[in-house]
Amino acid sequence: MKIEMISFGKIAEFINNQKIDVDGIADTDAFKQYLENQFPALKSMKYKLALNKNIIQENTEITNNATIAIMPPFSGG
Amino acid sequence: MSEKKIKNIFVDGPIKPAFIADSIAKHSEKTAIGGHSIFMGQVRKDEIEGKFISAIDYTAYEDLALEKMHQIREDIFEKYPLNCMHIYHSLGKVKTGEICLFVFTSSAHRKPAIAACSEVVDRLKAELPIWGKEIFEDETHQWKENI
Repeated sequence: MKIEMISFGKIAEFINNQKIDVDGIADTDAFKQYLENQFPALKSMKYKLALNKNIIQENTEITNNATIAIMPPFSGG
Repeated sequence: MSEKKIKNIFVDGPIKPAFIADSIAKHSEKTAIGGHSIFMGQVRKDEIEGKFISAIDYTAYEDLALEKMHQIREDIFEKYPLNCMHIYHSLGKVKTGEICLFVFTSSAHRKPAIAACSEVVDRLKAELPIWGKEIFEDETHQWKENI
């Protein structure tokens, strides 16, 4: 499973944009688990995922070559 | 979602007062309009633990922000009888005292313009993936959070 990860704001300070190739990540819940294992700093932070430009509200299946954005709380305006 | 073209809202750096004046002037030909409402966001010189903010550096997930803004725009046009609506948000560095957000709504009578302007600002702050990095005078920084 190939996933492109992009991150923003405060999270971009410790997760670089990168392409990963991992097995066993079937959905966004599993991806969160993977992320928090790789980057423990995330565990104590609020963040949202966007899968192929859709903000994730509930666990969603991930297909190959997905782009997932990791986004801290918004602060525009 | 309609097939209408997705408009860009992002401006590089601060939004200049002359740009805002120009935008107002362009509406003199739209004579069905009877009321405009304008909101401008300005970067505030907050003091945090004895240090002052000197600028905010804005970044965004631009594609997603523009799609979201398009949805908000459609919702607002459906809800209020507006003649037009213009939205601009800065990217990159905006110094204290400079304008980082400009929302401009117009209608035949004042009330829809005022309500729509307020609602657009609220929704934009809550829903658009934009981030502000608050830079202090000593070049350290912290990340802004909308309340």
